Amino acid sequence: MTGEPVWRPAVLATATGDGRVRCDLCPHACVLADGEIGECRVRRNSGGRLETATFTTTVAHLDAVERKPFFHVRPGSQVLTAAGPGCSFRCNYCVNHRLSQYGRPGGSSDFAGDPAQPSTLVSQAADAGAAIGLSYAEPSLAPELTLALAGLAAPRGVPVLWKTNGFLTAAAIDLVAPVLTAVNVDVKAATDAAHRRLTGAPLAPVLDAIERFRAAGVWVEVCTPLIPGVSDAPAEARAIAANLAAIDPAVPWHLVRFTPDFRMRRPDPTPPAVLARAAADGREAGLTFVYVERALGDQGRATYCPACGVVLVDRTLWASRENHLVDGRCPGCGLAIPGRWA
Amino acid sequence: MSEAEANDEVVFVASLPDLIDASEYDDHPDGRLVRLRLTVGADGVELLGDAFRPQELEALLRTLGGGPTEQMLCG
Ligand code: SF4
Repeated sequence: MTGEPVWRPAVLATATGDGRVRCDLCPHACVLADGEIGECRVRRNSGGRLETATFTTTVAHLDAVERKPFFHVRPGSQVLTAAGPGCSFRCNYCVNHRLSQYGRPGGSSDFAGDPAQPSTLVSQAADAGAAIGLSYAEPSLAPELTLALAGLAAPRGVPVLWKTNGFLTAAAIDLVAPVLTAVNVDVKAATDAAHRRLTGAPLAPVLDAIERFRAAGVWVEVCTPLIPGVSDAPAEARAIAANLAAIDPAVPWHLVRFTPDFRMRRPDPTPPAVLARAAADGREAGLTFVYVERALGDQGRATYCPACGVVLVDRTLWASRENHLVDGRCPGCGLAIPGRWA
Repeated sequence: MSEAEANDEVVFVASLPDLIDASEYDDHPDGRLVRLRLTVGADGVELLGDAFRPQELEALLRTLGGGPTEQMLCG
């Protein structure tokens, strides 16, 4: 690991005069004077040129696709997950804060990472029959690395996946969507005010991103951590579910237990009963596929046929046990189940 | 590197075994359960911990341990 970032030229920059550059990657739309660094702490203006510190890997971990979580993408397969530092959000509960909150109080001040080696990562993934995932911190801050990986991955049949906060401009989505197979987007709050309080950013761009990725043919799943005072009350979880159902009832919705960590250490972890209630509310709001990773056991993780009710994918903790789908269809009634199954 | 600095070091690893099962969640609504497993091998002592509150566990491991703390990332 190096102590200082290696800065590389960045995409999505507009010169605004006087040597200033506007970064067009996320809706913060930072306008940076020479030497200034953006809200994310990993993009900067250097001599009138936008640069990024995210062509970086701090880790390259081989893990189950179910851990991202993706439940409708190649069940039982693995993902080689790479991560660089940085995030466009500043969530107080972030379990990965050492990485994601780089450059901010409480995050890492020492740069954690070395320049990424796309060919090595793609070879490693291809050899393992795995996808490549960008996760742990915020992958949307690394479109340059995503495109470099995808250019090498596509000819070898290696899918590229993101676990993201979905906080991107339309231009950024249009740039990366053609090379992404699937994204899992966090929807962390029901209202703009709650979302701003938690993340420092508005909610609407996240919901817009879900629609734009889907329109571009990218498979989308959604995660909602049930955070005390933000998304754990029945009305809030119901409102999030209704927002998603309005986009598409078949968007898989993952409910995640809150872990007291970083600057939110006082509240208790989300009780299983709250997760169970939110899952029921999600189904009542019209969502077809609602999942709870761990707290509710195998039942909370299984995929059921929405037409005949048979178990389609049976999951243990962090992995698929049995995938009963036949060419993406229910073996009982033949219904086509949405996802990227092959 | 001093021992104190070494103890503060966090290394990200791909996976660590779970010591707490989800069926135990309801018995510890405040999330204060911490479980430790001590393994003595040829290379020394390894301490594995699991907890609902990562920072309390990390503080405990730093106090007890002599090397870097390994942590799994989320997502
Ligand atoms: S990616 Fe970073 S620099 Fe660019 S607009 Fe967003 S916060 Fe600002």
